[in-house]
Amino acid sequence: MATEDARYRESSQFRQWSFSPVQLASMRDKANTLARTSIAERLSTSPPNNASTNSMSAPTSNANTPDPDGGTPSLPEFLTPAEEALLVTFYTSELLRAGDHAEMGDEIKATAAAFFRRFYVTNSIMTYPPQQMLIVALFFGCKAEGAFPRITDFAQTFGKEDPQDILAGEFLLCQGIRFCFDVKHPFRALRGAVMELRKLGDIDTSRIDSAERRARDILRFSPLVTDAYFHYTPSQIMYATLSHADRGLVERLIQETFHYVAPPTNSGPDTPTASGDASTPATSRRDTNKGDDNNKAAIIGSYIRDRVLGTIEACRDMLAKEMPERREHWSNKTVIKAQITPLRKKLNKCHDPDRWDLVKLQKVRREQALKKGDSEDGSPGDRVASSEADASLFGGDVATAQRDAKRRKVGAKGLDDPFGGAL
Amino acid sequence: MLRKAPVGARGMAPGTASGAALPLTTDDMCPVCKTIRYLNKDMEFLINPECYHSMCSNCVNRLFNDGPNQCPYAGCNRTLRRKGFRSAFFGDLTVEREVDIRRRVAAVFNQAEDDFETLRDYNNYLQMVEDLTFDLVSGAEGKRPAAEAQLQQWEAEHKADIERNRKAGREADEQARRRLTAEREAARQRRIEAIKEAEDEKLERARSREAELDTLAQAPEGQRVQLKRRGQTNRAGGATASAVETTVNTAIAAADVGRLSIRGLKEKRKAPAPEGPYDPFGGSDFVPSRYKVGEGLAHPQVEKYRFDQQHITGGYSFDDYTARAMFEAFAGLGVFIEDEKEVGIGMSAGQVATIGAGIAAVGDRMELD
Repeated sequence: MATEDARYRESSQFRQWSFSPVQLASMRDKANTLARTSIAERLSTSPPNNASTNSMSAPTSNANTPDPDGGTPSLPEFLTPAEEALLVTFYTSELLRAGDHAEMGDEIKATAAAFFRRFYVTNSIMTYPPQQMLIVALFFGCKAEGAFPRITDFAQTFGKEDPQDILAGEFLLCQGIRFCFDVKHPFRALRGAVMELRKLGDIDTSRIDSAERRARDILRFSPLVTDAYFHYTPSQIMYATLSHADRGLVERLIQETFHYVAPPTNSGPDTPTASGDASTPATSRRDTNKGDDNNKAAIIGSYIRDRVLGTIEACRDMLAKEMPERREHWSNKTVIKAQITPLRKKLNKCHDPDRWDLVKLQKVRREQALKKGDSEDGSPGDRVASSEADASLFGGDVATAQRDAKRRKVGAKGLDDPFGGAL
Repeated sequence: MLRKAPVGARGMAPGTASGAALPLTTDDMCPVCKTIRYLNKDMEFLINPECYHSMCSNCVNRLFNDGPNQCPYAGCNRTLRRKGFRSAFFGDLTVEREVDIRRRVAAVFNQAEDDFETLRDYNNYLQMVEDLTFDLVSGAEGKRPAAEAQLQQWEAEHKADIERNRKAGREADEQARRRLTAEREAARQRRIEAIKEAEDEKLERARSREAELDTLAQAPEGQRVQLKRRGQTNRAGGATASAVETTVNTAIAAADVGRLSIRGLKEKRKAPAPEGPYDPFGGSDFVPSRYKVGEGLAHPQVEKYRFDQQHITGGYSFDDYTARAMFEAFAGLGVFIEDEKEVGIGMSAGQVATIGAGIAAVGDRMELD
């Protein structure tokens, strides 16, 4: 295994925030279904203008929840996962525009966009307001990338009077992104690739420069508004953008990198380590350095080269859907009117009334926490709901441990659920 | 190597030059040249461990000075060399031969008890070695070559072990020798001290006698003298008590020395394999496998800062930047997330789904800030 890959596998981006398309889709479906269930329950039990604290912690994993679609006729129409995805993409492009407006660096914008998209993987857009969350993501992205703007200045930039509007969502965002603050970007990787290309020596520098400019432009937009960060590694994304800019350069670079060809005694082209032993006839001469050869073939052989090229090609196709020229598409008035506005209207009707206002939500939660701290046991129904939810999250053991008085106190402090509230 | 038993008639070998203590027998005659001791007082009998046939040194010189030659004994067709001859230590050559064999076997099978897990293992091992030795010394005609082959095979296979054990044994010998000398030295010190003490005591006694006589001369009060004398005896009693104490102490010290030796034996037990130096990166390999970092890697956007005071004053490392950029350009290139996440090199698909669902399903109990 290549050492670079082993090191990348150690990152939180790979361990926590990389998914196959199927997994990602199922997670989004799940988030959507749960949001529907809880909002339907909420709307059918109490009128929206009277947001009482009790309903906040309604059991979400209850089996006998009434079907929201076939339930009371007063229920609004909910967004489908596809519509949600469209909205998230739209708001991501909005986020990037906001970042441009505030004259932020590329990495800050990219980090904020990654935070935003990650947040809406496990949370539905119907639960928390995307327009506020994108500002929060930008603010927190600044901090994650080592820039520390004043919150008052920052709020003013976006026309917000009260900094609390931004701060209220900050911890929520952290929970949603599961405290993975380090996002690996392809920007520096592009520099590395350019260094390597320049080192080859026989390529026109102006060609490299123009390709780099174009690739960087794509990197600023395309991977951020697509799911590329979930499905591909930064280097793969980088090569995909570079191949959009100049396909020949990428092919050259990949050929140079995966240059290893098995010695000629081996019949046929070298094959992967696993199937290589089966397909190649056992030659006694190469027995001594066969392991070494196989290892090399697995790292820089032609088989892995083809796989990498295939992955880059797939990533390229994904990025092709959202080329930088689509910036205008997302800010085009007619497009917004045709596609986004109806969804927004729908969203206005079907959003979660309790959690839409982040400031109020924070206030309510603080009060709740205080109340819990004052009266040791809290409301029994609430307790049952929480332990049920914990059981579903951690696999049953916690439910029994929760009865422990000590545990309960810790739970009342809000530490038992570090990864955020319900949808 | 040992085909022939020593000549039956020569049960008692002649005394060697060094072995003057051995009783000399009447038939001190060289069986090769028939010289008798009567004619040659300095006659010395030599044997060769090839066949243990003894002959006088004159015969050895005569026969083997010109190179290897056959043994002059009738029926013995061993080829002997001058170098191999030596005088026998034991009068009985069977004993000499057995000792030789045992020495050789012991050099090969030199495991100590500490090398074994249990006492039973060690005993089994000793039994095995003893059986082998017996086969070599007095085994039947068929068994001896087999045992010999076994011995040689073991020697060839465990060369390193044998060498290590030999070294350990040598160290142990060295330690024992040092301990012995230390003990001897301590004993010598004790003896000197004892002598000194005895002298002191004698002096003290003489002095007290003087003092007694003086007091008698000066103050003829019987009681005072009595008291003094009692004090004197008391003091003497104390001295003997301290002497007892010191002997006890030395006894304890001697016991300590004894125990020390046992502990030393235990310490010979195989030490656990060394853990190696601490690795703060948990085994991560930082040697790039798909690219090389070195001269010639430059980017115009970075190069322009190379002579920028604001950058270089703070110690900005351009090499580090290059290394990091190159690493990022190639890191994860061979990571195929879709496959790996489905198959589960990192986290299995099911796990991710349950965690995601868990996050989504968790009740609303969190607290901000």
